[in-house]
Amino acid sequence: MIKLANLRLGFDTGFSLAVDALNIREGEVFAIIGPNGAGKTTLLNAMALLKKPSSGTLEIMGRDALAPANKMFLRRSMSVVFSQPYLTNDTVSHNVALPLALRGQRDRAAVEEALELFKITHLKDRNAKTLSQGESNRAALARAFVTRPKLVLLDEPFASLDERVKDSIARDLKRVLKASNAAVVLVTQDQGGALTLCDTLAVLVNGKILQQGEPQDVFTRPVSAEVADFVGVETILPGKVTGAQDNLCAVEAGGKTLMVVSDCAAGDSVFVCVRPENVSISLGADAGGRRNNFKAKVVSSAPWGLEYKVELDCGFTLQAAVTKQLVDGLGVKPGAEVYASFKATAAHLIKRIL
Amino acid sequence: MEFIFAGLQKGIALIFSGNAEVFAIARLSLAVSVLATAAAVLAGVPLGSWIAVKKFPLKKLLIAMVNTGMGLPPVVAGLVVMLFLARSGPLGFLNWLYTPTGMIIAQFIIALPIITALSISAMQGVDPKFYQQVLTLGASDWQAIKVCLKEIRLTVLAAVIAGFGRLVAEVGAVMIVGGNIRHQTRMLTTATVMETQMGNFDTAIALGLILLTLSFSVNLALTLIQQGKVQPR
Repeated sequence: MIKLANLRLGFDTGFSLAVDALNIREGEVFAIIGPNGAGKTTLLNAMALLKKPSSGTLEIMGRDALAPANKMFLRRSMSVVFSQPYLTNDTVSHNVALPLALRGQRDRAAVEEALELFKITHLKDRNAKTLSQGESNRAALARAFVTRPKLVLLDEPFASLDERVKDSIARDLKRVLKASNAAVVLVTQDQGGALTLCDTLAVLVNGKILQQGEPQDVFTRPVSAEVADFVGVETILPGKVTGAQDNLCAVEAGGKTLMVVSDCAAGDSVFVCVRPENVSISLGADAGGRRNNFKAKVVSSAPWGLEYKVELDCGFTLQAAVTKQLVDGLGVKPGAEVYASFKATAAHLIKRIL
Repeated sequence: MEFIFAGLQKGIALIFSGNAEVFAIARLSLAVSVLATAAAVLAGVPLGSWIAVKKFPLKKLLIAMVNTGMGLPPVVAGLVVMLFLARSGPLGFLNWLYTPTGMIIAQFIIALPIITALSISAMQGVDPKFYQQVLTLGASDWQAIKVCLKEIRLTVLAAVIAGFGRLVAEVGAVMIVGGNIRHQTRMLTTATVMETQMGNFDTAIALGLILLTLSFSVNLALTLIQQGKVQPR
Protein backbone atom coordinates (compact mmCIF):
# COMPACT_ATOMS: atom_id res chain seq x y z
CA MET A 1 0.00 0.00 0.00
CA ILE A 2 2.76 2.42 0.99
CA LYS A 3 6.36 1.86 0.03
CA LEU A 4 8.87 4.39 1.10
CA ALA A 5 12.60 4.36 0.59
CA ASN A 6 15.46 6.67 1.55
CA LEU A 7 13.05 9.44 2.35
CA ARG A 8 14.71 12.67 3.48
CA LEU A 9 12.92 15.78 4.57
CA GLY A 10 14.81 18.66 6.10
CA PHE A 11 13.73 21.79 7.90
CA ASP A 12 15.35 25.19 8.37
CA THR A 13 15.53 24.46 12.08
CA GLY A 14 18.09 21.73 11.41
CA PHE A 15 15.69 18.89 12.15
CA SER A 16 15.55 16.30 9.45
CA LEU A 17 13.56 13.18 8.84
CA ALA A 18 15.49 10.24 7.42
CA VAL A 19 13.52 7.06 6.87
CA ASP A 20 15.38 4.36 4.99
CA ALA A 21 12.54 1.96 4.32
CA LEU A 22 8.94 1.54 5.31
CA ASN A 23 6.42 -0.90 3.96
CA ILE A 24 2.78 -0.78 4.86
CA ARG A 25 0.62 -3.59 3.59
CA GLU A 26 -3.00 -3.53 2.55
CA GLY A 27 -5.38 -3.86 5.48
CA GLU A 28 -2.61 -3.35 7.99
CA VAL A 29 -2.85 -1.03 10.98
CA PHE A 30 0.60 0.49 11.24
CA ALA A 31 1.37 2.60 14.28
CA ILE A 32 4.26 5.01 14.50
CA ILE A 33 5.12 5.99 18.05
CA GLY A 34 7.80 8.28 19.34
CA PRO A 35 8.41 11.20 21.65
CA ASN A 36 7.43 14.79 20.94
CA GLY A 37 9.36 16.29 18.06
CA ALA A 38 10.49 12.94 16.71
CA GLY A 39 9.09 13.73 13.25
CA LYS A 40 5.97 11.59 13.41
CA THR A 41 3.66 14.24 12.02
CA THR A 42 6.22 15.22 9.39
CA LEU A 43 6.35 11.63 8.18
CA LEU A 44 2.56 11.43 8.13
CA ASN A 45 2.34 14.74 6.26
CA ALA A 46 4.72 13.36 3.65
CA MET A 47 2.43 10.36 3.20
CA ALA A 48 -0.57 12.70 3.05
CA LEU A 49 1.22 14.59 0.23
CA LEU A 50 1.19 17.78 2.28
CA LYS A 51 4.98 18.00 2.59
CA LYS A 52 7.35 17.25 -0.22
CA PRO A 53 10.41 15.20 0.71
CA SER A 54 13.74 16.61 -0.46
CA SER A 55 14.79 13.20 -1.70
CA GLY A 56 13.80 9.55 -1.75
CA THR A 57 10.90 7.63 -3.17
CA LEU A 58 7.34 7.31 -1.99
CA GLU A 59 4.96 4.91 -3.61
CA ILE A 60 1.31 4.73 -2.63
CA MET A 61 -1.05 2.15 -4.13
CA GLY A 62 1.58 1.31 -6.71
CA ARG A 63 1.86 4.89 -7.96
CA ASP A 64 4.67 7.36 -7.60
CA ALA A 65 3.25 9.65 -4.94
CA LEU A 66 5.78 12.38 -5.63
CA ALA A 67 4.66 12.84 -9.24
CA PRO A 68 2.35 15.87 -9.39
CA ALA A 69 0.14 14.06 -11.89
CA ASN A 70 -0.80 11.44 -9.28
CA LYS A 71 -1.47 13.90 -6.47
CA MET A 72 -5.21 14.37 -6.87
CA PHE A 73 -5.88 10.69 -7.52
CA LEU A 74 -3.98 9.63 -4.40
CA ARG A 75 -5.45 12.38 -2.26
CA ARG A 76 -8.88 11.21 -3.23
CA SER A 77 -8.01 7.59 -2.37
CA MET A 78 -7.02 8.43 1.19
CA SER A 79 -8.34 10.20 4.25
CA VAL A 80 -6.46 12.04 6.95
CA VAL A 81 -7.68 12.69 10.48
CA PHE A 82 -5.80 15.15 12.69
CA SER A 83 -6.11 15.54 16.44
CA GLN A 84 -8.23 18.63 15.86
CA PRO A 85 -11.34 17.75 13.87
CA TYR A 86 -11.31 20.93 11.69
CA LEU A 87 -15.01 20.90 10.90
CA THR A 88 -16.65 23.63 8.84
CA ASN A 89 -19.29 26.01 10.16
CA ASP A 90 -22.12 23.90 8.78
CA THR A 91 -24.35 20.99 9.75
CA VAL A 92 -22.80 17.66 10.67
CA SER A 93 -24.25 15.96 7.60
CA HIS A 94 -22.88 18.69 5.30
CA ASN A 95 -19.50 18.22 6.95
CA VAL A 96 -19.60 14.48 6.41
CA ALA A 97 -20.76 15.00 2.82
CA LEU A 98 -17.96 17.49 2.05
CA PRO A 99 -15.40 14.97 0.69
CA LEU A 100 -18.05 13.64 -1.67
CA ALA A 101 -19.03 17.16 -2.73
CA LEU A 102 -15.37 17.92 -3.50
CA ARG A 103 -15.38 14.90 -5.79
CA GLY A 104 -18.53 16.16 -7.48
CA GLN A 105 -20.59 13.37 -5.97
CA ARG A 106 -23.80 13.25 -4.00
CA ASP A 107 -24.51 10.09 -2.09
CA ARG A 108 -27.00 10.44 0.74
CA ALA A 109 -26.80 6.74 1.52
CA ALA A 110 -23.03 6.89 2.01
CA VAL A 111 -23.40 9.90 4.32
CA GLU A 112 -26.11 8.17 6.36
CA GLU A 113 -23.94 5.07 6.60
CA ALA A 114 -20.88 7.00 7.76
CA LEU A 115 -22.96 8.83 10.38
CA GLU A 116 -24.32 5.48 11.52
CA LEU A 117 -20.85 3.88 11.72
CA PHE A 118 -19.73 6.48 14.22
CA LYS A 119 -23.11 6.69 15.98
CA ILE A 120 -23.83 10.34 15.27
CA THR A 121 -26.97 10.02 13.15
CA HIS A 122 -28.91 11.93 15.81
CA LEU A 123 -26.52 14.89 15.42
CA LYS A 124 -26.75 15.22 11.65
CA ASP A 125 -28.71 18.49 11.58
CA ARG A 126 -26.70 20.14 14.35
CA ASN A 127 -24.14 22.79 13.48
CA ALA A 128 -20.73 21.15 13.80
CA LYS A 129 -19.42 24.08 15.85
CA THR A 130 -21.85 23.22 18.65
CA LEU A 131 -20.60 19.65 19.14
CA SER A 132 -18.62 18.39 22.13
CA GLN A 133 -15.02 17.29 21.60
CA GLY A 134 -15.91 13.63 21.39
CA GLU A 135 -18.79 14.30 18.99
CA SER A 136 -16.53 16.45 16.81
CA ASN A 137 -13.98 13.64 16.63
CA ARG A 138 -16.71 11.23 15.62
CA ALA A 139 -17.85 13.64 12.91
CA ALA A 140 -14.28 13.97 11.63
CA LEU A 141 -13.96 10.18 11.51
CA ALA A 142 -17.29 9.80 9.73
CA ARG A 143 -16.11 12.40 7.21
CA ALA A 144 -12.88 10.44 6.73
CA PHE A 145 -14.67 7.17 6.03
CA VAL A 146 -17.54 8.46 3.87
CA THR A 147 -15.43 8.01 0.74
CA ARG A 148 -14.49 4.43 1.67
CA PRO A 149 -10.77 5.26 1.55
CA LYS A 150 -8.14 2.65 0.74
CA LEU A 151 -5.72 4.37 3.08
CA VAL A 152 -6.42 6.21 6.32
CA LEU A 153 -3.82 8.38 8.04
CA LEU A 154 -4.50 9.21 11.68
CA ASP A 155 -2.43 11.86 13.43
CA GLU A 156 -2.96 11.67 17.19
CA PRO A 157 -6.67 11.19 16.59
CA PHE A 158 -7.51 11.02 20.29
CA ALA A 159 -5.03 13.52 21.71
CA SER A 160 -7.62 15.98 22.95
CA LEU A 161 -10.03 13.46 24.47
CA ASP A 162 -10.47 12.21 27.99
CA GLU A 163 -9.93 8.53 28.73
CA ARG A 164 -13.56 7.42 28.74
CA VAL A 165 -14.50 9.12 25.46
CA LYS A 166 -11.27 7.92 23.89
CA ASP A 167 -12.07 4.32 24.75
CA SER A 168 -15.51 4.41 23.23
CA ILE A 169 -14.33 6.13 20.03
CA ALA A 170 -11.33 3.80 19.72
CA ARG A 171 -13.67 0.84 19.97
CA ASP A 172 -15.90 2.15 17.16
CA LEU A 173 -12.88 3.04 15.07
CA LYS A 174 -11.43 -0.43 15.47
CA ARG A 175 -14.73 -1.97 14.40
CA VAL A 176 -14.88 0.26 11.32
CA LEU A 177 -11.25 -0.48 10.46
CA LYS A 178 -11.82 -4.23 10.67
CA ALA A 179 -14.77 -3.96 8.31
CA SER A 180 -13.15 -1.54 5.86
CA ASN A 181 -9.91 -3.41 5.18
CA ALA A 182 -8.21 -0.07 4.63
CA ALA A 183 -4.54 0.32 5.42
CA VAL A 184 -4.10 2.59 8.40
CA VAL A 185 -1.16 4.63 9.56
CA LEU A 186 -1.58 5.79 13.14
CA VAL A 187 0.80 8.33 14.56
CA THR A 188 0.72 8.74 18.31
CA GLN A 189 2.62 9.38 21.52
CA ASP A 190 0.15 7.22 23.36
CA GLN A 191 1.60 3.71 23.59
CA GLY A 192 -1.58 2.28 25.04
CA GLY A 193 -3.62 3.71 22.20
CA ALA A 194 -1.20 2.30 19.64
CA LEU A 195 -1.26 -1.12 21.30
CA THR A 196 -5.04 -1.37 21.28
CA LEU A 197 -5.23 -0.68 17.56
CA CYS A 198 -2.12 -1.71 15.67
CA ASP A 199 -0.76 -4.79 13.92
CA THR A 200 2.69 -3.36 13.38
CA LEU A 201 4.55 -0.82 15.42
CA ALA A 202 7.43 1.44 14.46
CA VAL A 203 9.40 3.59 16.87
CA LEU A 204 10.51 6.94 15.49
CA VAL A 205 13.08 8.93 17.44
CA ASN A 206 14.94 12.01 16.17
CA GLY A 207 13.64 11.56 12.64
CA LYS A 208 14.77 7.96 12.33
CA ILE A 209 12.85 4.72 12.58
CA LEU A 210 14.76 2.75 15.18
CA GLN A 211 12.65 -0.36 15.21
CA GLN A 212 9.58 -1.82 13.63
CA GLY A 213 7.76 -5.09 14.12
CA GLU A 214 4.96 -6.69 16.08
CA PRO A 215 4.14 -4.49 19.06
CA GLN A 216 4.99 -7.21 21.59
CA ASP A 217 8.40 -7.67 20.00
CA VAL A 218 9.15 -3.98 20.07
CA PHE A 219 8.18 -3.70 23.70
CA THR A 220 9.90 -6.84 24.92
CA ARG A 221 12.96 -6.74 22.74
CA PRO A 222 13.87 -3.13 22.04
CA VAL A 223 16.85 -3.10 19.70
CA SER A 224 18.52 -0.12 21.29
CA ALA A 225 18.69 1.83 24.48
CA GLU A 226 16.89 4.71 22.75
CA VAL A 227 13.91 2.52 21.93
CA ALA A 228 13.94 0.98 25.39
CA ASP A 229 14.11 4.45 26.86
CA PHE A 230 11.02 5.50 24.98
CA VAL A 231 8.91 2.38 25.31
CA GLY A 232 10.01 1.89 28.93
CA VAL A 233 7.82 -1.10 29.59
CA GLU A 234 9.70 -4.15 28.44
CA THR A 235 7.63 -7.04 29.52
CA ILE A 236 4.33 -7.15 27.78
CA LEU A 237 2.19 -10.25 27.82
CA PRO A 238 -1.14 -10.87 26.18
CA GLY A 239 -3.56 -12.27 28.73
CA LYS A 240 -7.11 -12.54 29.94
CA VAL A 241 -8.60 -11.33 33.21
CA THR A 242 -10.08 -14.38 34.92
CA GLY A 243 -11.18 -12.73 38.13
CA ALA A 244 -11.44 -9.28 39.59
CA GLN A 245 -12.19 -8.20 43.11
CA ASP A 246 -11.64 -4.82 44.75
CA ASN A 247 -9.51 -3.71 41.79
CA LEU A 248 -7.24 -6.70 42.15
CA CYS A 249 -7.30 -8.73 38.94
CA ALA A 250 -6.16 -12.26 38.37
CA VAL A 251 -4.75 -12.42 34.86
CA GLU A 252 -4.04 -15.60 32.98
CA ALA A 253 -0.92 -14.93 30.90
CA GLY A 254 1.88 -17.09 29.59
CA GLY A 255 0.39 -20.12 31.32
CA LYS A 256 0.65 -18.46 34.74
CA THR A 257 -1.71 -16.45 36.86
CA LEU A 258 -0.57 -12.91 37.62
CA MET A 259 -2.10 -10.58 40.17
CA VAL A 260 -2.39 -6.97 39.02
CA VAL A 261 -4.12 -3.95 40.51
CA SER A 262 -6.41 -2.56 37.82
CA ASP A 263 -10.02 -1.62 37.23
CA CYS A 264 -10.46 -4.17 34.44
CA ALA A 265 -13.27 -6.69 34.70
CA ALA A 266 -13.25 -10.46 34.43
CA GLY A 267 -13.26 -11.53 30.81
CA ASP A 268 -11.31 -8.50 29.50
CA SER A 269 -8.48 -9.18 27.08
CA VAL A 270 -5.44 -7.28 28.22
CA PHE A 271 -1.71 -6.75 27.87
CA VAL A 272 0.17 -7.10 31.14
CA CYS A 273 3.00 -4.57 31.25
CA VAL A 274 5.87 -4.75 33.70
CA ARG A 275 8.77 -2.35 33.84
CA PRO A 276 12.12 -4.11 34.30
CA GLU A 277 13.11 -1.96 37.26
CA ASN A 278 10.08 -3.25 39.17
CA VAL A 279 11.19 -6.88 39.00
CA SER A 280 13.27 -8.27 41.86
CA ILE A 281 15.47 -11.33 41.73
CA SER A 282 16.29 -13.61 44.70
CA LEU A 283 17.62 -17.08 45.26
CA GLY A 284 15.07 -18.11 47.88
CA ALA A 285 11.33 -18.57 47.30
CA ASP A 286 10.42 -15.87 49.82
CA ALA A 287 8.96 -13.01 47.82
CA GLY A 288 8.71 -10.65 50.78
CA GLY A 289 4.98 -10.02 50.31
CA ARG A 290 5.11 -9.49 46.55
CA ARG A 291 2.04 -11.05 45.01
CA ASN A 292 3.77 -12.29 41.89
CA ASN A 293 6.58 -14.72 42.47
CA PHE A 294 7.83 -17.15 39.86
CA LYS A 295 10.59 -19.66 39.59
CA ALA A 296 12.71 -18.56 36.65
CA LYS A 297 15.69 -19.51 34.60
CA VAL A 298 18.17 -16.81 33.55
CA VAL A 299 18.29 -16.58 29.77
CA SER A 300 20.76 -13.75 29.45
CA SER A 301 22.32 -10.98 31.43
CA ALA A 302 23.97 -7.88 30.02
CA PRO A 303 25.05 -4.43 31.24
CA TRP A 304 22.36 -1.80 30.68
CA GLY A 305 23.35 1.67 31.61
CA LEU A 306 24.37 1.63 35.28
CA GLU A 307 22.49 -1.61 35.85
CA TYR A 308 22.24 -5.04 34.36
CA LYS A 309 19.36 -6.25 32.31
CA VAL A 310 18.44 -9.85 32.93
CA GLU A 311 16.11 -11.81 30.71
CA LEU A 312 14.24 -14.47 32.64
CA ASP A 313 12.16 -17.41 31.52
CA CYS A 314 9.29 -18.00 33.93
CA GLY A 315 7.12 -19.76 31.39
CA PHE A 316 6.89 -16.32 29.83
CA THR A 317 9.73 -13.92 29.19
CA LEU A 318 10.28 -11.38 31.91
CA GLN A 319 12.85 -8.58 31.81
CA ALA A 320 14.46 -7.43 35.01
CA ALA A 321 16.85 -4.57 35.70
CA VAL A 322 19.08 -5.18 38.69
CA THR A 323 22.28 -3.78 40.16
CA LYS A 324 25.70 -5.16 39.36
CA GLN A 325 26.21 -6.08 43.02
CA LEU A 326 23.13 -8.25 42.92
CA VAL A 327 24.17 -9.92 39.68
CA ASP A 328 27.58 -10.70 41.19
CA GLY A 329 26.22 -11.67 44.62
CA LEU A 330 23.54 -14.04 43.32
CA GLY A 331 25.71 -15.45 40.58
CA VAL A 332 23.20 -14.48 37.93
CA LYS A 333 24.34 -16.01 34.65
CA PRO A 334 22.60 -17.82 31.82
CA GLY A 335 21.11 -21.10 33.04
CA ALA A 336 21.00 -20.12 36.73
CA GLU A 337 17.78 -20.79 38.61
CA VAL A 338 16.33 -17.86 40.54
CA TYR A 339 13.02 -16.46 41.75
CA ALA A 340 11.57 -13.38 40.12
CA SER A 341 8.93 -11.30 41.86
CA PHE A 342 7.01 -8.05 41.45
CA LYS A 343 4.17 -6.34 43.28
CA ALA A 344 0.58 -6.32 42.07
CA THR A 345 0.86 -2.53 41.86
CA ALA A 346 4.09 -2.72 39.83
CA ALA A 347 2.38 -4.14 36.75
CA HIS A 348 -0.35 -2.45 34.77
CA LEU A 349 -2.95 -3.65 32.32
CA ILE A 350 -3.72 -2.23 28.89
CA LYS A 351 -7.16 -3.25 27.79
CA ARG A 352 -7.28 -4.69 24.26
CA ILE A 353 -10.23 -3.88 22.08
CA LEU A 354 -11.58 -6.87 20.16
CA MET B 1 -27.02 80.50 8.43
CA GLU B 2 -30.28 80.85 6.64
CA PHE B 3 -28.98 79.61 3.31
CA ILE B 4 -28.17 76.26 4.91
CA PHE B 5 -31.75 75.67 6.04
CA ALA B 6 -33.12 76.99 2.78
CA GLY B 7 -30.76 74.67 0.91
CA LEU B 8 -31.79 71.73 3.01
CA GLN B 9 -35.48 72.50 2.40
CA LYS B 10 -35.04 72.89 -1.33
CA GLY B 11 -32.87 69.80 -1.43
CA ILE B 12 -35.47 67.62 0.24
CA ALA B 13 -38.13 69.07 -2.06
CA LEU B 14 -35.93 68.22 -5.05
CA ILE B 15 -35.62 64.60 -3.92
CA PHE B 16 -39.34 64.20 -3.64
CA SER B 17 -40.07 66.11 -6.84
CA GLY B 18 -38.93 63.08 -8.83
CA ASN B 19 -36.54 65.11 -10.97
CA ALA B 20 -35.55 62.79 -13.81
CA GLU B 21 -32.03 64.13 -14.18
CA VAL B 22 -31.21 63.73 -10.49
CA PHE B 23 -32.45 60.15 -10.57
CA ALA B 24 -30.46 59.37 -13.69
CA ILE B 25 -27.34 60.68 -11.95
CA ALA B 26 -28.07 58.57 -8.86
CA ARG B 27 -28.66 55.48 -11.01
CA LEU B 28 -25.38 55.94 -12.85
CA SER B 29 -23.48 56.47 -9.58
CA LEU B 30 -24.91 53.31 -8.12
CA ALA B 31 -24.33 51.27 -11.30
CA VAL B 32 -20.68 52.35 -11.71
CA SER B 33 -19.74 51.74 -8.08
CA VAL B 34 -21.61 48.45 -7.79
CA LEU B 35 -20.12 47.08 -11.02
CA ALA B 36 -16.62 48.23 -10.09
CA THR B 37 -16.98 46.67 -6.63
CA ALA B 38 -18.31 43.42 -8.11
CA ALA B 39 -15.42 43.23 -10.57
CA ALA B 40 -12.91 43.96 -7.80
CA VAL B 41 -14.48 41.25 -5.62
CA LEU B 42 -14.40 38.70 -8.44
CA ALA B 43 -10.73 39.42 -9.05
CA GLY B 44 -9.49 40.47 -5.62
CA VAL B 45 -10.96 37.76 -3.40
CA PRO B 46 -9.46 34.83 -5.35
CA LEU B 47 -6.22 36.75 -5.88
CA GLY B 48 -5.89 37.62 -2.20
CA SER B 49 -6.76 34.09 -1.13
CA TRP B 50 -4.20 32.64 -3.50
CA ILE B 51 -1.49 34.99 -2.24
CA ALA B 52 -2.40 34.05 1.33
CA VAL B 53 -2.25 30.27 0.97
CA LYS B 54 0.63 29.86 -1.48
CA LYS B 55 4.32 30.00 -0.75
CA PHE B 56 6.44 31.85 -3.28
CA PRO B 57 9.48 34.11 -3.37
CA LEU B 58 8.96 37.80 -2.55
CA LYS B 59 5.53 37.06 -1.10
CA LYS B 60 6.03 39.59 1.71
CA LEU B 61 7.09 42.26 -0.77
CA LEU B 62 3.97 41.61 -2.85
CA ILE B 63 1.74 41.87 0.23
CA ALA B 64 3.44 45.14 1.18
CA MET B 65 2.74 46.46 -2.32
CA VAL B 66 -0.91 45.44 -2.17
CA ASN B 67 -1.22 47.09 1.24
CA THR B 68 0.28 50.27 -0.19
CA GLY B 69 -2.30 50.09 -2.95
CA MET B 70 -5.03 50.44 -0.34
CA GLY B 71 -3.96 54.03 0.11
CA LEU B 72 -3.78 54.75 -3.62
CA PRO B 73 -5.05 58.35 -4.14
CA PRO B 74 -8.09 58.19 -6.46
CA VAL B 75 -6.80 61.13 -8.49
CA VAL B 76 -3.62 59.19 -9.26
CA ALA B 77 -5.65 56.15 -10.33
CA GLY B 78 -7.83 58.45 -12.43
CA LEU B 79 -4.85 60.13 -14.00
CA VAL B 80 -3.21 56.83 -14.97
CA VAL B 81 -6.42 55.44 -16.43
CA MET B 82 -6.99 58.68 -18.32
CA LEU B 83 -3.50 58.58 -19.81
CA PHE B 84 -4.06 55.02 -20.98
CA LEU B 85 -7.52 55.71 -22.39
CA ALA B 86 -6.68 59.08 -23.95
CA ARG B 87 -6.99 59.20 -27.71
CA SER B 88 -3.21 59.10 -28.15
CA GLY B 89 -2.72 56.65 -25.27
CA PRO B 90 -2.05 52.90 -25.62
CA LEU B 91 -5.72 52.02 -25.19
CA GLY B 92 -7.10 55.07 -26.97
CA PHE B 93 -8.62 52.94 -29.75
CA LEU B 94 -11.20 51.65 -27.24
CA ASN B 95 -12.79 55.11 -27.01
CA TRP B 96 -13.51 54.56 -23.32
CA LEU B 97 -12.38 57.93 -22.06
CA TYR B 98 -15.32 59.99 -20.73
CA THR B 99 -17.56 56.89 -20.64
CA PRO B 100 -19.06 54.94 -17.72
CA THR B 101 -16.82 52.00 -18.74
CA GLY B 102 -13.76 54.16 -18.20
CA MET B 103 -15.04 55.19 -14.77
CA ILE B 104 -15.69 51.57 -13.82
CA ILE B 105 -12.10 50.70 -14.77
CA ALA B 106 -10.72 53.55 -12.68
CA GLN B 107 -12.85 52.59 -9.67
CA PHE B 108 -11.93 48.92 -10.15
CA ILE B 109 -8.27 49.87 -9.86
CA ILE B 110 -8.99 51.75 -6.63
CA ALA B 111 -11.01 48.89 -5.08
CA LEU B 112 -8.84 45.98 -6.20
CA PRO B 113 -5.98 46.50 -3.70
CA ILE B 114 -8.46 47.15 -0.88
CA ILE B 115 -10.37 43.94 -1.47
CA THR B 116 -7.22 41.94 -2.24
CA ALA B 117 -5.43 43.13 0.90
CA LEU B 118 -8.42 42.49 3.14
CA SER B 119 -8.85 39.04 1.56
CA ILE B 120 -5.19 38.24 2.20
CA SER B 121 -5.49 39.10 5.86
CA ALA B 122 -8.84 37.31 6.19
CA MET B 123 -7.43 34.18 4.58
CA GLN B 124 -4.26 34.31 6.66
CA GLY B 125 -6.54 34.19 9.67
CA VAL B 126 -7.59 30.69 8.67
CA ASP B 127 -5.61 28.00 10.49
CA PRO B 128 -3.16 26.55 7.91
CA LYS B 129 -4.00 23.12 9.28
CA PHE B 130 -7.66 23.70 8.45
CA TYR B 131 -6.63 24.41 4.87
CA GLN B 132 -4.47 21.27 4.82
CA GLN B 133 -7.33 19.24 6.24
CA VAL B 134 -9.59 20.39 3.40
CA LEU B 135 -6.89 19.45 0.87
CA THR B 136 -6.72 15.96 2.36
CA LEU B 137 -10.48 15.62 1.98
CA GLY B 138 -9.81 15.58 -1.74
CA ALA B 139 -9.94 19.27 -2.62
CA SER B 140 -7.95 21.01 -5.31
CA ASP B 141 -6.32 24.28 -4.28
CA TRP B 142 -9.26 26.32 -5.60
CA GLN B 143 -11.81 24.04 -3.96
CA ALA B 144 -9.97 24.34 -0.65
CA ILE B 145 -9.90 28.14 -1.01
CA LYS B 146 -13.65 28.09 -1.66
CA VAL B 147 -14.30 26.02 1.47
CA CYS B 148 -12.13 28.39 3.52
CA LEU B 149 -13.84 31.48 2.05
CA LYS B 150 -17.16 30.07 3.14
CA GLU B 151 -15.77 29.82 6.66
CA ILE B 152 -14.65 33.46 6.66
CA ARG B 153 -17.57 34.87 4.66
CA LEU B 154 -18.28 37.50 7.33
CA THR B 155 -14.81 38.97 7.00
CA VAL B 156 -14.99 38.79 3.22
CA LEU B 157 -18.28 40.69 3.30
CA ALA B 158 -16.58 43.31 5.46
CA ALA B 159 -14.01 43.66 2.68
CA VAL B 160 -16.84 44.13 0.16
CA ILE B 161 -18.44 46.80 2.35
CA ALA B 162 -15.11 48.61 2.71
CA GLY B 163 -14.52 48.50 -1.04
CA PHE B 164 -17.97 49.74 -1.98
CA GLY B 165 -17.86 52.48 0.65
CA ARG B 166 -14.64 53.80 -0.81
CA LEU B 167 -15.98 53.79 -4.39
CA VAL B 168 -19.39 55.31 -3.89
CA ALA B 169 -17.81 58.27 -2.07
CA GLU B 170 -14.95 58.69 -4.52
CA VAL B 171 -14.79 61.78 -6.71
CA GLY B 172 -11.28 62.32 -8.05
CA ALA B 173 -10.97 59.39 -10.42
CA VAL B 174 -14.45 59.60 -11.92
CA MET B 175 -14.00 63.34 -12.39
CA ILE B 176 -10.81 62.85 -14.39
CA VAL B 177 -11.83 59.76 -16.36
CA GLY B 178 -15.56 60.56 -16.72
CA GLY B 179 -15.30 64.31 -17.15
CA ASN B 180 -18.63 65.01 -15.40
CA ILE B 181 -20.45 65.20 -18.73
CA ARG B 182 -24.14 65.91 -18.32
CA HIS B 183 -26.41 62.97 -19.22
CA GLN B 184 -23.36 60.78 -19.77
CA THR B 185 -20.85 60.60 -16.97
CA ARG B 186 -22.21 62.88 -14.30
CA MET B 187 -22.09 61.11 -10.94
CA LEU B 188 -23.53 62.16 -7.57
CA THR B 189 -20.09 63.08 -6.29
CA THR B 190 -18.96 65.00 -9.36
CA ALA B 191 -22.30 66.78 -9.63
CA THR B 192 -22.08 67.77 -5.95
CA VAL B 193 -18.66 69.29 -6.52
CA MET B 194 -19.89 71.16 -9.59
CA GLU B 195 -23.08 72.50 -7.99
CA THR B 196 -21.14 73.62 -4.91
CA GLN B 197 -18.66 75.48 -7.07
CA MET B 198 -21.53 77.12 -8.94
CA GLY B 199 -23.10 78.20 -5.65
CA ASN B 200 -26.23 76.03 -6.10
CA PHE B 201 -26.08 74.84 -2.54
CA ASP B 202 -29.63 73.50 -2.52
CA THR B 203 -28.92 71.14 -5.42
CA ALA B 204 -25.58 70.20 -3.87
CA ILE B 205 -27.28 69.38 -0.58
CA ALA B 206 -29.94 67.34 -2.36
CA LEU B 207 -27.28 65.36 -4.23
CA GLY B 208 -25.32 64.88 -1.02
CA LEU B 209 -28.39 63.56 0.77
CA ILE B 210 -29.16 61.16 -2.06
CA LEU B 211 -25.56 59.94 -2.00
CA LEU B 212 -25.75 59.33 1.74
CA THR B 213 -29.08 57.52 1.42
CA LEU B 214 -27.78 55.37 -1.40
CA SER B 215 -24.61 54.48 0.44
CA PHE B 216 -26.58 53.74 3.58
CA SER B 217 -29.05 51.49 1.73
CA VAL B 218 -26.38 49.39 0.07
CA ASN B 219 -24.39 49.09 3.28
CA LEU B 220 -27.55 48.24 5.21
CA ALA B 221 -28.30 45.45 2.75
CA LEU B 222 -24.73 44.10 2.94
CA THR B 223 -24.69 44.38 6.72
CA LEU B 224 -28.01 42.55 7.00
CA ILE B 225 -26.61 39.75 4.86
CA GLN B 226 -23.46 39.71 6.97
CA GLN B 227 -25.12 39.85 10.36
CA GLY B 228 -27.71 37.29 9.28
CA LYS B 229 -24.82 34.86 9.08
CA VAL B 230 -23.51 35.60 12.54
CA GLN B 231 -23.97 32.72 14.92
CA PRO B 232 -26.05 33.73 17.92
CA ARG B 233 -23.96 33.64 21.07
